[in-house]
Amino acid sequence: MSRYYYYLVLINMIANVIASVPAILLHFHDDGAVSAMIVSVVAGSTLVFFFTRFFTHFPGMTLPELLQKTTAKWFYNPFILVLAITWFIAGMITLITYTFLLIRYLTPEMPIIQISLTILLAVILGCLMKTDRVFYTIEIILLLTVPLIILIFIKAYTNENLRWEFVKEAALYFNQFPNLNAFSACFFLYLGSANLIIFNRFFKNKQNFGVKQITLIVAISIMTLFTTYFIPIGFNGVEGIEKLVYPWITTSDSLRMKFSLIERVLFIFLLFYLGIAFLSILIHWHVSIELLKYVFNFEKFKFKGFKFGVFLPIPFYIGVSLYFVRQLNEYQLFRLSGIFYNILIIFFPMMLILFFFIKRRMKNVKKAEQN
Amino acid sequence: MSSEEILLWIKEQFKNTTELTQKTLDYDNKHALLFYVKSLIDQESLQKLIIKPFFEMANENQFKAYLIALPQFQKVESKEQAVSEVTNGNTLIVIQHDLYLIDLQLATNNQVSTTSVETTIHGSNIALSENLMTNINLIRTYYHQASLSIEYFTKGEVNQQKIAIIYDKELVNTKALEIIKQKLQQLDQQVISASTELNNYLNDKRFSLFPQMLMTERPDRIVYNIAGGKIALILDGNAQALIAPAVFFDFMTTMEDNYHTLFISLFVRILRYAGLFVSLLLPGLYVGITSFAPEVFRTELALTVAGSRIGVPFSSFVEVLFMLFFMELLLEASIRLPKAVSATATTVGGLILGSAVTEAALASNIMVIIVSAVAISTFVIPVNELAFTIRIVRLILLLITSVFGLAGLTLGLYGLIMYLVYLDSFGEPYLRLFNYQKAKKSSEGQA
Amino acid sequence: MLKKRNKIKQFFLLIILILTALSGCGEFKDIDKDVFVSMIGIDLSDDPEKPYKVTLKLYVPTSSFKQSPKPEYTYLTKNGKTLTEAIRILETHSDKEIDFGHSKLIVIGEELLNANKSKEIMDFLLRRPDIQMISWLAIGRPSAEEIIKMVPQSETAAYPALFNYFDHNGTDSPYIVTTYLFDFRRKMLETGIDPILPLIEINKEEEHFEVNKSYVLAHDKKPHELSSLDTLIFNMMTRNLDVADLVINEDNQHFIAKIDNINSKYKVKVDAQHQVKLNIDIELFGYISESKDTISNQQLPQYSKMVEAETREKFSDFFIKMLNVGYDPIGFGLAYKSKTLHNKRMSPNEWNEAYKNSKVNIKVMAGIKSTGSIQ
Repeated sequence: MSRYYYYLVLINMIANVIASVPAILLHFHDDGAVSAMIVSVVAGSTLVFFFTRFFTHFPGMTLPELLQKTTAKWFYNPFILVLAITWFIAGMITLITYTFLLIRYLTPEMPIIQISLTILLAVILGCLMKTDRVFYTIEIILLLTVPLIILIFIKAYTNENLRWEFVKEAALYFNQFPNLNAFSACFFLYLGSANLIIFNRFFKNKQNFGVKQITLIVAISIMTLFTTYFIPIGFNGVEGIEKLVYPWITTSDSLRMKFSLIERVLFIFLLFYLGIAFLSILIHWHVSIELLKYVFNFEKFKFKGFKFGVFLPIPFYIGVSLYFVRQLNEYQLFRLSGIFYNILIIFFPMMLILFFFIKRRMKNVKKAEQN
Repeated sequence: MSSEEILLWIKEQFKNTTELTQKTLDYDNKHALLFYVKSLIDQESLQKLIIKPFFEMANENQFKAYLIALPQFQKVESKEQAVSEVTNGNTLIVIQHDLYLIDLQLATNNQVSTTSVETTIHGSNIALSENLMTNINLIRTYYHQASLSIEYFTKGEVNQQKIAIIYDKELVNTKALEIIKQKLQQLDQQVISASTELNNYLNDKRFSLFPQMLMTERPDRIVYNIAGGKIALILDGNAQALIAPAVFFDFMTTMEDNYHTLFISLFVRILRYAGLFVSLLLPGLYVGITSFAPEVFRTELALTVAGSRIGVPFSSFVEVLFMLFFMELLLEASIRLPKAVSATATTVGGLILGSAVTEAALASNIMVIIVSAVAISTFVIPVNELAFTIRIVRLILLLITSVFGLAGLTLGLYGLIMYLVYLDSFGEPYLRLFNYQKAKKSSEGQA
Repeated sequence: MLKKRNKIKQFFLLIILILTALSGCGEFKDIDKDVFVSMIGIDLSDDPEKPYKVTLKLYVPTSSFKQSPKPEYTYLTKNGKTLTEAIRILETHSDKEIDFGHSKLIVIGEELLNANKSKEIMDFLLRRPDIQMISWLAIGRPSAEEIIKMVPQSETAAYPALFNYFDHNGTDSPYIVTTYLFDFRRKMLETGIDPILPLIEINKEEEHFEVNKSYVLAHDKKPHELSSLDTLIFNMMTRNLDVADLVINEDNQHFIAKIDNINSKYKVKVDAQHQVKLNIDIELFGYISESKDTISNQQLPQYSKMVEAETREKFSDFFIKMLNVGYDPIGFGLAYKSKTLHNKRMSPNEWNEAYKNSKVNIKVMAGIKSTGSIQ
């Protein structure tokens, strides 16, 4: 598999370390979170496997293109629209989470609209770029941010204040029945490969996705899940962990870089994670806008020859995001993310059924083309 | 069209000037008519190659054969070509209604100079000359391949300058070559005087910030890039070549990187990128940290900064702008000034102004350090064109930071990277990792 | 083509306009308009209406540390009904914005500690996002205010001397316990481990601090003070100490063993009847650093025996004391929890009872390797 594919998977996993996923998991620390994590590794990797295998059969084809060939219009248009909205919400949740983080920890005096506008303005024009350029941007920003984030993780693991007894205590809750909410939060980490529904147009050559590749993804996901869940516990104990609003921020504030220019790891973490959040929003909204292009014919909106159609979704995206940034509070955001994740665990397995259907139809289409 | 008509037409063209010299050679039944512009030709060669043999030859036919055999011989294809060649330093010879052009151009600008902009310690120090033929000669002596092709265009409606496109037929990026040729054909400027002007003319974006072509004076750089499948453009009368397509990383390399040992060049590269980031981010970082998030720095440093700002009348943003403004003035001034005076300017500007500003508490000590650090790190960027761009981008980032704080600075940097990736240079993505690895069998396509 | 680009340019121009408009409402405050808090002191006030007394130690920035190497501070003190109220009033007392982001030490007065208000204090400290989770927490005797207001002779600008006791950069004494705010929080909330805080005292005559005792505390319990020796034993059990001195006074032999390598392990064993056994293993290696009598090289094994006996006695004293008051600063309860499935664990109350009745088994292995440079 091309290295760009792993970026998609990886970003979705690490971007959620800071979002609601650890908060949801830790909320159910004595109610089946550990077992949910174990189950989600199996379920998530299965989904990743079938999802990716499906798209490797159709190199360079996006999902809407496949649907156009195989399904009726009454199904196709609403379905793509639902997908576009789903991806928009995924990006918006990251945006709002990060806005809340910045206002809480970095610039408490700044108006919340201004903070979210910072992120919005930086991201929004990037969503209109060509798919390959989105990939190149991802690669470079990852190269800049990931080494430092990994360094922080290593510092956390080697810190003498990380008490493994807490970790063991929490891990011993594994024999409970998996919690559904915790499961759906973990499951969300695996949905990075779902971005292939648009990004597959970049992979024009036949890709190889087999046991080796899925093993790598499983290994990375286990490491991410373990870090996401157990490191905050090792630093903050088991009891009362559900009371932390941003477990990872509190954890990073428990680290100190004794001799560095910036002493509090919190700020390094916050600013470098901003890059990951940026990429996560960029990917989700790029997919969302590209999907919208299949539903609406933006090309026909012209003004003196200038095609402003492609810019049409932008005001909506900014407007809706700003509205929700103002309306939601932390608890509502937490609930919204939870509900969103819960819907996705039904939605994506359903899509696998759809894929099966498409694959069969595509065989017919190919035969028809050959004749 | 007969040769008489051509002759008449040519005379007509030069009618009102005294430039055109007409000389008749007449001896022993041999007749020849010479037309040339005296100031353009090498009179010694004229005497040695044409006049002396004329008198030694047995008959006209032998002389004709001799002329055709001369390496400087050129065929006359049209009257326009004849005129333009005469203005280029050719001598037009008429024997029995036959026209011959002999290139006797006297070039005073064919001296190969030493590098002045892209100086290096290692490697060759030869720069291009201002003469096109000498330059092509230089490139050919560095690049021995039959596939090296050179195409000429004549552009500039008024001054009719010659542009050479040099590339390796086997290796060249054909997509970029087509774009360049097409754009050259569309070019309709009156006067083209410098090759760097082409940078703007060939780029159809009016508001471009980053250079799309690499300007260089080093033949080794040109050869290196041609071997990498790029295309070099040289304008006659210019000691600078343009290389296209240029990507961002081209502007961050010097030729010396290839001459050093691995670790040295790695070290130098890291230093250079660190310099790039420092010169881009430091002013913004200062504003962001002092005005938006003073708790980011470690305590000792925060107190030092806070202490040094005591009594400074401006807010940090104005303070940075104020000092950057003087630094930019100093940079501009030292380019224009004669070498003898520029040292004084730097002393006055840098030392006296710097210390006086802190004495008068118009800026903090830390600010002076930051501005000088920024100035120094700007010089680390090896290609001048990029350094100029960075100076502007720095201001933009500073502005963003003063509105949106540290998060704005970070996102501004990411946005800048995104903009660079979005840019194209003649069909090539401007910024992309592993740009040079032109693996034919890459596992993904472009979308 | 060209027109489209122009439109994009106009779009960018529009954004720039928005940016400039926004810069008006942006909160732009310079660093010299901020004043940084260095330490926070919280005391019990005399006024029962307003029980909290907050003292802030503020850095006074000087233009150059070279010109004024002496540290300069200002202090703000105020009583309040709640901590937030006290701080809100303090903010009106200062001409600059009070920035808590640089505060590294929180001192709690001894009286307040005994007044059992730790829950409210912790809530305040944790809830404020600008208070570092890596601040140190300590108890001040006689009061936090006095600790905070004292500037010892040796202090340099920008780095209060008190910080050197805790950051392991300056002194690294085996008698100092270091507790970060997050560490305090987790130990406070967790059953099975109790937080321990260092006690800072003032030596009036010599004008310096003494940090060698500590306090163990828990909810709804009277805090228990640990003597210097107990603090040392606590550190030997939990920290990887590099040095410790043991005074041996036995059978007419009087010497001091300097221990430079300590290994301590503990195991919690619980049988079916909820009988807890605490197995403690200690290995000590070192040399003799001081002695009243002459010391013979050949007798090193005997000296080791003496050290073992002495250590065992001191350690068992410590653990018996801890079991009697029911405090568990080492975390035996946590060790038990980390080895038992959650549905088979004793309830916290059961565990507390069992812990109080546990049997302590101490094994000491000492190796005195040298008598120092002389015999």
